[in-house]
Amino acid sequence: MKYYFNLQYKMLNRHISDFGLNPAVGIALLPILFLGLSYYLFAKTEFAEYLYVFLCASLLSNLSEAGRNDFIKTCFSDKDYRRIRVLENVILVIPFVAFLLFKGCIISTTILLLLAGILAFMTFGNKFNYTIPTPFYRRPFEFIVGFRKTFWLVLIAYIMAYMGIVVGNFNLGLFSLMLVFFNCMYFYAYPENAYYVWIFKASPKRFLVDKIKTALLFSTILSLPIMIGHLFFYTDKFNIILGLQCLGYMYLLAAVLAKYSAFPAEVSLPQAFLFAFGIVFPPALLAIIPYFYIQSIKSLKEILQ
Amino acid sequence: MINIEHLSKTYGAKQALNDINLSFEKGKVYGIVGENGAGKTTLFKCVAGLEKHEGTIASDYDNLKNHLGFLQTDPYFFSKMTGGEYLQLFCNARNLTESNFEAKNIFDLPLNQYAATYSTGMKKKLALTAILLQQNDFFILDEPYNGVDIQSNIIITEIIHKLHQLNKTIVISSHIFSTLNDTCDEIYLLKEGILVKKVHKTDFGKLEQEMKDFTIGNRIEKLGLK
Repeated sequence: MKYYFNLQYKMLNRHISDFGLNPAVGIALLPILFLGLSYYLFAKTEFAEYLYVFLCASLLSNLSEAGRNDFIKTCFSDKDYRRIRVLENVILVIPFVAFLLFKGCIISTTILLLLAGILAFMTFGNKFNYTIPTPFYRRPFEFIVGFRKTFWLVLIAYIMAYMGIVVGNFNLGLFSLMLVFFNCMYFYAYPENAYYVWIFKASPKRFLVDKIKTALLFSTILSLPIMIGHLFFYTDKFNIILGLQCLGYMYLLAAVLAKYSAFPAEVSLPQAFLFAFGIVFPPALLAIIPYFYIQSIKSLKEILQ
Repeated sequence: MINIEHLSKTYGAKQALNDINLSFEKGKVYGIVGENGAGKTTLFKCVAGLEKHEGTIASDYDNLKNHLGFLQTDPYFFSKMTGGEYLQLFCNARNLTESNFEAKNIFDLPLNQYAATYSTGMKKKLALTAILLQQNDFFILDEPYNGVDIQSNIIITEIIHKLHQLNKTIVISSHIFSTLNDTCDEIYLLKEGILVKKVHKTDFGKLEQEMKDFTIGNRIEKLGLK
């Protein structure tokens, strides 16, 4: 069991190295980054507490994935397997719980601790052999795969948008709109197997344009109900709604290009910083997007030509 | 025609391919044999342009990869993509408008199920169907019979015969010599990254015996089975 956690630590170090950082520096930076992001989140939105619980719950559910649990079960005795799962969940929730306690969010803390305990005894997989339908089947794969993995997040965004309209909370509606776009950006967070680019008979430019067109079209489909609903009920604020929709497109465009700028590797640390800077300071995207585009063309040339 | 000259590839200190020179003529079926780690998959990846290498790979096409169907040993599938969507992706990649995949589902695959949940053999059959739908001129089939049931084995062999008739070029690697015997015009033997032999159809029997003698040798006796 000790070996398992040593191995996890080694793997974490390797991930940090792949990211272009010295593992010791990376591990030292992790708590600072976590605290910084937590403060930022709680300063930015009144719904931070719910988002925080939600984020932690989704990370916990990743640990309950059937494939990895089957693997651990085959390697360890039942007793050690349970210990590992409980310990993993506890290690994961500790920083979230500590920050929530610091903020005085007792109920959320209790919910997270209960979740960590319960999810240690649960596994999630496609046991029902049910294929989740998507409206994106004509243009695989990002939105098909991404939507099936995170459709519940889209549902939550729609519910929040509806509640925002019912209670007259305009900001909640805007938040739900951005949630949809951030979810779409997540579909482009990791590079696909190079073979899935290699199969395309297209120039790098054409390939990128097709990917961008698909991303913009499908994100419009997902965000349309929220946008139309808010345009209808907040007619006087149409410029803010459309402005935010455009900002969502810019973010998504940057996410697509950031992915291919590093392809077939994952986004490096400087690229991640640049991308994050664009998110926090959107005018910078006007320079960042063309930069990522040029880098993407270079990276894709290696595979497509 | 594809001409490979002085092809070499290293992974760190390991020489995976060493000065390979060979050519694949249009309309012929070639076999590549060799032990695990001999360099077969590396050779295929270099030809496909998925690996950087030394030496040249020239073809009659402007961009060979746009006419090449590459069946990988262990095809990768996204976790939430159905078989039908996988086929759609491959057709989209070549700007083909095919959409009635059930009509061309010769292996009777459950196209509405997630491909990642398929068995090894089903994954192989789906990946093969995808590259066949792309109407390629040149095929690289890396272990096409791996994990595939006997009925599908027969179908794959017949597909190779059909492609041969259609004047397509096919390169196959397989550990099942009888399948290569049935389908190939020539077989190349790779050993530790070096091309050691080129054998014509008339000498396949001799090659099989040589490989058997070399591979087995006195290994079984070492076990001291009683």
